[in-house]
Amino acid sequence: MSIITFTNWIATAPSWIQGLPEWLQTLCYQFWQTFIYQDRWHFFVDGLKITFIVTLGALALGIIIGIIIAVIRVSYDNSIEKKIPLVIRILNSFCKLYLTIIRGTPMMVQLLIMGFVIMVPKTDGGMIVCGIVTLGINSGAYVAEIARSGIMSVSRGQTEAGRSLGLNYFQTMRLIIIPQAVKNILPALGNEMITLLKDTSLVSVIALRDVTKQAQNIVSKTYQAYIPYISLAVIYLIIVIVLTKLLGIFERRLRKSDHR
Amino acid sequence: MITVKDLHKTFHTPDGDLQVLKGVSDHIEKGEKVVIVGPSGSGKSTFLRCMNLLETPTSGEVWFEDKLVNDKKSDIDKIRMQMGMVFQHFNLFPHKTIMQNITLAPTKLKLMSKEEASEKALQLLKRVGLVEKADAYPAQLSGGQKQRIAIVRALAMNPKVMLFDEPTSALDPEMVGEVLQVMSELAESGMTMAVVTHEMGFAREIADRVLFMHDGLILEQAPPSEFFGNPQNPRLQDFLAKVL
Repeated sequence: MSIITFTNWIATAPSWIQGLPEWLQTLCYQFWQTFIYQDRWHFFVDGLKITFIVTLGALALGIIIGIIIAVIRVSYDNSIEKKIPLVIRILNSFCKLYLTIIRGTPMMVQLLIMGFVIMVPKTDGGMIVCGIVTLGINSGAYVAEIARSGIMSVSRGQTEAGRSLGLNYFQTMRLIIIPQAVKNILPALGNEMITLLKDTSLVSVIALRDVTKQAQNIVSKTYQAYIPYISLAVIYLIIVIVLTKLLGIFERRLRKSDHR
Repeated sequence: MITVKDLHKTFHTPDGDLQVLKGVSDHIEKGEKVVIVGPSGSGKSTFLRCMNLLETPTSGEVWFEDKLVNDKKSDIDKIRMQMGMVFQHFNLFPHKTIMQNITLAPTKLKLMSKEEASEKALQLLKRVGLVEKADAYPAQLSGGQKQRIAIVRALAMNPKVMLFDEPTSALDPEMVGEVLQVMSELAESGMTMAVVTHEMGFAREIADRVLFMHDGLILEQAPPSEFFGNPQNPRLQDFLAKVL
């Protein structure tokens, strides 16, 4: 496949481009190479799909893992005064081990180990699952501590009120404590969501073609780094801005019970 | 209805053990209204909270009807459904409307359908004069209103006994009356009640029996006329001299 040189391209370009200063012409040429020539914008769209799937999957997994761990850790801390059941003791040590390992090793290393040692996926679907599982397990460790702070922020009286009505421990957690905890931790959780979205850019190390990987692919075709990488940054930025806005709306809706 | 035998409770704190109950025994009859008074730190709240196992006794027995409450084998949630509790700090669920606060437990525990629970809630709200607050959130209510709702929430479970843990202590003085009014009406309706309070006037008015607790023990118990008119224990005489 022949590369269309700048000189060739500018000769066939529309006249309004030919009237521009030379540095702008170069920019237009690079933009054309990055997005338009051979419909390369498809690369970005395909990459975004992977990025979104991995982010959403990992987010859901992370929140589930995080809440389970937080509930275990809180039940352990709350039962200090009485005798602590053996099951809770074992689960708590397991959770602590998990938190130590996950928070103590780099995400990139975790991806490499999952991708090439533990799961070793062969298919596209397998790689996506591998990415989701790795990022979800990683995110779960951070969500766990956020969720724990949220559960502890709900006053003890709420648990007592729930239990005194005859709800069991898990009903009280699910119906009374966790909804209030979620409201309290939403800003921190939003932060984690944004971090997670940006962390998906690492999945290219297990050969997942997310939006970052696709930008790299374009660079390897055009030998131009400027437009692809700047566009990539802008894409992430726009998603984060939209996400922040949505979270703000959601937060305001949850706060409706606070109005006097 | 409730029998307590030689109840002990020790809290293990970082500063050492704190013995709060040192052998409390009592029996509350069906329909009886028992008011527990005493200086702060005397163990009266702990005693009340042991009855529905919000505190686990260190030793001793708590019986509710024919069930041993502090037995590992007994289903504490089932027992608690029959024992309503009202707290000093209301503990309404702030993320739920008043209606949801009241109907949550009866519906989630499958004791009533949604319709039955709402109907019951409206009926009870009417009784305490707060029907128009059904769709409000707790944050929009005054302290007195919150406590009346807390009472309604407990009553919605159709409990056999109601436990009150200093229900008016966190209220502004002008709101105490409206809560005591609701409690008096409840007493007249024949509910079995155990009330920890500092409201001596209320104790004199509704109690069948007043208990005086001091330093983890029940030092004196008598009908209100005798209790206030002719106290025997010097500690009680001293206490009454201070509060009356």
